[in-house]
Amino acid sequence: MISVSHLTKRYGGHVAVDDVSFDVGKGEVVGFVGPNGAGKSTTLRIVAGFLGPTGGRVKVDGHDVVNDSFEARRRIGYMPENVPLYPEMRVVEYLRFRAELKRVARAARAAWVDDAMDKAGVLAVAHRRIAHLSRGYRQRVGLADAIVARPPIVVLDEPTAGLDPNQVREARALIRELGREHTVVVSTHILSEVEACATRVLLLHRGRLVAQGPMDEIRAMRAGTALDVVVRGPRDVLEAALLRVAGVARVSREGTDAAAPVRVHFARTLSGPEREEATERCVAALVGAGGGVREVRPARSSLEEVFSVLTHEPAPGEVDA
Amino acid sequence: MRAFWPIFKRELFAFFVTPLAWVLIVVFLIVQGMHFFLLVDHFSRATDVSGDETPLSAFFGNTVLLYLVLLMLVPAMTMRLFAEERRSGTIESLMTAPVSSAAVVLAKYAAVLTTYVAMWAPTVLYLVILGRTGALDWRAAASAYLGVLSVGAGYLGLGLCASALTRSQFLAMLWTALVLLALFILGIGEFVTREGTTMHAVCAHVSVWAHMNDFASGVVDSRHLVFYGTLTVLPLFVATRAVDAWRWG
Repeated sequence: MISVSHLTKRYGGHVAVDDVSFDVGKGEVVGFVGPNGAGKSTTLRIVAGFLGPTGGRVKVDGHDVVNDSFEARRRIGYMPENVPLYPEMRVVEYLRFRAELKRVARAARAAWVDDAMDKAGVLAVAHRRIAHLSRGYRQRVGLADAIVARPPIVVLDEPTAGLDPNQVREARALIRELGREHTVVVSTHILSEVEACATRVLLLHRGRLVAQGPMDEIRAMRAGTALDVVVRGPRDVLEAALLRVAGVARVSREGTDAAAPVRVHFARTLSGPEREEATERCVAALVGAGGGVREVRPARSSLEEVFSVLTHEPAPGEVDA
Repeated sequence: MRAFWPIFKRELFAFFVTPLAWVLIVVFLIVQGMHFFLLVDHFSRATDVSGDETPLSAFFGNTVLLYLVLLMLVPAMTMRLFAEERRSGTIESLMTAPVSSAAVVLAKYAAVLTTYVAMWAPTVLYLVILGRTGALDWRAAASAYLGVLSVGAGYLGLGLCASALTRSQFLAMLWTALVLLALFILGIGEFVTREGTTMHAVCAHVSVWAHMNDFASGVVDSRHLVFYGTLTVLPLFVATRAVDAWRWG
């Protein structure tokens, strides 16, 4: 449905998006993940037809976003970051305006607007002014706007930003729901956010696509970089034993009390199976040093750490790279 | 162009649902009402009324009030058109809908021009009052309103263009006011420069004062119409190109 090849966007001397290529198939729910400033919004804006690319091609359902922008835009329901809305309008007025703008036939307009409001859960506030809505409801109005013309593709830029945990859960459920009828592209800077709803993830870092794959692979990447071990015994001895294990780069302690787990960081050069072997050696070393191993679990590394693995750059706060 | 109608409706709605349009219209009508009162008062006292000076021609031409009011009102009316949408980000939703830049520019322009016409509409009452108490040349009145429409169309075009060129409403207002003031001052040059010089010809050609005097006395000069037509079309064209250009910024 979306095909992006060698997309580049420059602002003056600054390269915001650098040679990014990916495809999104029909019915997929794709998560676009990266830290702030990675080029997510810029890429989505180009796909949605708001910005023009400096280089490369973007096709939406076969229509080029530059040469055939009109048809491309008709096929996308786009929710911009921060959900800009007209504050002086009432929700239903705004959605009727958007539906007319997106060429929903007059006869179908009222029904489609009601349908979109129902799906996004804003029927209760249909006659309230947008200026008086809470952040969560504004977000939902933006969602209703994105789906009101029933486009085959829905593009949502940071749909969960600024929401409280309950609202985030609801938003995720909504996005999952959207995935049944639409091809969905969602961006976020929090990896766990897309875990719940995306089938595939694209990782963007400094304007480059550093990894893409099904959610499971990315999850494995997160899980594999470190190990949390709860162990009884003299700390100094045990940590020294761990550091002698091949494949262990560094040992740190989470918290100060005796029950706090020890975090074992593996060397970044290790592959998945090698990490599993290293895990076995760690446990053997701990037992050998007289420690009582009570719990061993893979540590979920932060998105920054995943990126540092992928880009072979030190993560922030890491000294022994 | 199918996007024209919804955007036009929304713009008008945005104008009249916020206090801005009402404040502007009230200020405008108070100033024009006082102006009209003073004129009628003046003419009713005058003992010898020369043939070519009528309340009608004095209301629309030969007065600095009309331009002063336009100088203040037009920038305030046009400043928000694009600048506000760019600041708040709604321009992103607007331009990612299947709309053409030309439709967006024309719809916004038509909306502000409609507001301008609505602002002037109550002044027709003054003419009705004049017509009841004495003879009124309705054809001259029509010509005067044509002048008001032409000048307004040109000024609003410039204002819309300024709003498309900056993100700040304040700058849009300032630029519009400065350009209109410059045009006005250049027109004043008609009275300062010597007749026969190029400068005089240029000043006379752009002088809104001279234009409105002609219109108010029933003279429809095609040069004036072409001048204001250009003043409308050119800024709208530049604004359309500016809207296209944001994409590549």
